[in-house]
Amino acid sequence: MPVPPDTDPLNRGVVTRRETLRSGVAATLAAARVLAPSLFVGCSLGIPPRAPTVRIGLLHSQTGPLAIGSTSLRDVELDAVERFNAAGGVLGHRIDPRAPDPRSRTDLFPKRAAALLDDGAVALFGCWSSASRKAVLPIVEERDSLLFYPVQYEGNETSRNVIYGGQVPNQQVLPALDWLRSGPGGERKKFFLLGSDYVYPRTTNFIVRKWLAGTGVEIVGEEYVSLDSEDFAPLVARIRERGADCILNTVNGAGNIALFAALAEAGIDPAKVPVVSTSISEDDLRSMPAAHVAGHWVLSSYFQTVDTPANAAWMAGFRSEFGRDRVFGDSMEAAWCLINLWKEAVEKAGSFATEAVRQVFAGGIGFDGPGGKMTIDPATQHATKYFRLGRVRPDRLCDVVVSSDGPLAPDPYPQIAFPGWKCDWKKGGLQRGPEVAIDG
Amino acid sequence: MIPTAITPPMFPDFSWYYEIPTTTAALLMVAAFVGFYWVGAVIVRPILRMFVRRSPGLNDLIGYILSCFCVFYGLLLGLIAVTAYQNVESAEQNVTREAAALSALYEDVSRYPDPYGQNLRLLIRDYTRYVIKYAWPLQQQGIIPEEGTIRAEALFDRLLDFQPGTPGEEILHAEALRQINHFLECRRLRLHSVKAGLPRAMWIVMFVGAFFNILLCWMFDTRFLTQLVLGGILAAYLGMMMYLIVDMNQPFRGEVSVSPEAFELLYQRMIED
Repeated sequence: MPVPPDTDPLNRGVVTRRETLRSGVAATLAAARVLAPSLFVGCSLGIPPRAPTVRIGLLHSQTGPLAIGSTSLRDVELDAVERFNAAGGVLGHRIDPRAPDPRSRTDLFPKRAAALLDDGAVALFGCWSSASRKAVLPIVEERDSLLFYPVQYEGNETSRNVIYGGQVPNQQVLPALDWLRSGPGGERKKFFLLGSDYVYPRTTNFIVRKWLAGTGVEIVGEEYVSLDSEDFAPLVARIRERGADCILNTVNGAGNIALFAALAEAGIDPAKVPVVSTSISEDDLRSMPAAHVAGHWVLSSYFQTVDTPANAAWMAGFRSEFGRDRVFGDSMEAAWCLINLWKEAVEKAGSFATEAVRQVFAGGIGFDGPGGKMTIDPATQHATKYFRLGRVRPDRLCDVVVSSDGPLAPDPYPQIAFPGWKCDWKKGGLQRGPEVAIDG
Repeated sequence: MIPTAITPPMFPDFSWYYEIPTTTAALLMVAAFVGFYWVGAVIVRPILRMFVRRSPGLNDLIGYILSCFCVFYGLLLGLIAVTAYQNVESAEQNVTREAAALSALYEDVSRYPDPYGQNLRLLIRDYTRYVIKYAWPLQQQGIIPEEGTIRAEALFDRLLDFQPGTPGEEILHAEALRQINHFLECRRLRLHSVKAGLPRAMWIVMFVGAFFNILLCWMFDTRFLTQLVLGGILAAYLGMMMYLIVDMNQPFRGEVSVSPEAFELLYQRMIED
């Protein structure tokens, strides 16, 4: 009868394969149990945990004539997003900003907007000219997304899919006209209206003409130039010839560089014939020689020189990231307020969904911005804004000459220009009046 | 030098591997190889030995074959490791050159009259910041960053806008154009190296070679424990070599990778300027 190996005295002390295996497996498991916590510290199946990501689109031109101002808006929004992410994100989500380049081309804005939304962007921030905004509008409406528009514009528009953060004429141009006609403003009587050839300058000047009708002020000229126009000498000659005592400038983008150069070349004295610009920021001013712009006037809701602690803190934070020589303008401040308002709305809604966020805006929401409190009017989804008029200093910053006492309520449809038109999203939405033909 | 190629998209995604801390990744690779060898020793070895154990002097024969095989395989692994290291080094050099070209360009445009000088400096800063804050994290995930192109184009366009007015400006402008072309070349090389890695065929040869090494070890007719220990040591070393090659395969991924330090130093200087 064979003796089992384990009882065979000759086999004592010999390690069998099975025993080796058994003890090997036991030792491995024990080692794994002991070492695993230290080996895989910070790992989850080898992959570090990541916060879920939510994408937003920043729609600003980074090349072309509109790039100078637009790029700064992108930077402000990136700065805000970086701060959100550093503080834990929004609703626990890391925000992933995507910033394609519409190249200052109106036809590219809707394409870039559609691509961003297709790519999962929950909201869009941007556009510069009204033409670009109007081109993007059908895209955001069709897909029921939200566009946060930070630039002053002509009004005559409301959409459930746009939060308007810039001034409309009753917060910018119209108070300025009243002041220019007054004693402190120099009792100006002859206005020359000059603008880029697209919807914002034409509509704004249409409203201006209506506003000035019957006031004794004469409009001695109204001309429009293309966005890439560089030859302003003949135009400046006509301004001089017609004896204008004030130039209302709605030229947009890099064309202002050539315009102010031509004015300086022609010896136009800002003390006698000031240019009152609606679409120039500190960023644009720094692109021009001080001798060309000093003494002229700028209409805005915010100037870098606004002396508030919030403004100082904002500028210091931005400069520590983007450089000490960065300057700040109206649209930058509006962009900052809008993206912060979006964050607040999302957090209040507890969701990134368009309708949920819109409901928060419908309930009224505000943000203490660097230039003062900005509140979104639930009736029109436009912002309440300060009116400020500044004079350009030799260092190309602006001294505030006139300011409203507080933020002015927005009126996208001044009745003098758009009779019968009214919008209140809380009471039936847009009420249409007779069609108005914008001529000029 | 062994050529490198863009990794085909059909290649299995091992991106998780690059997110593991270096020590853990090395231990995992070694453990995988040793584990594979040990499991094979238990399951495959008895089957293999059924075919070969009766042949006298077989261990000597396997030993000769293994030695011969190891020479070729060792050479291959060595060359591949050198190539992978050279890829990392070359990517690092490209990054340093790109940052140096940007720095030189920044100095050049600082002499331009305003507003060009001011605008160009802002654009260079914008590009540098993008590379540090946005491009690098994407590169570390093996993704080629796209938005840097927009910034580089904006910079190039703005530089071309400048019309020199004096002979001095002409010389300066010519130098700036030379620098920007050099910068664009380095940038292109950096982007190319984001996805550059060893060709798939090479990975197959490496892993099949490692498998043959292990297979030959399984065939040795020795005591089980001796085989586990000696074979385990060989498998562990193979695992170490594989870890080294995998870790260096993609220059921007993993803990041991090219850092954006050159850009960070440049940007710091720019914003304090």
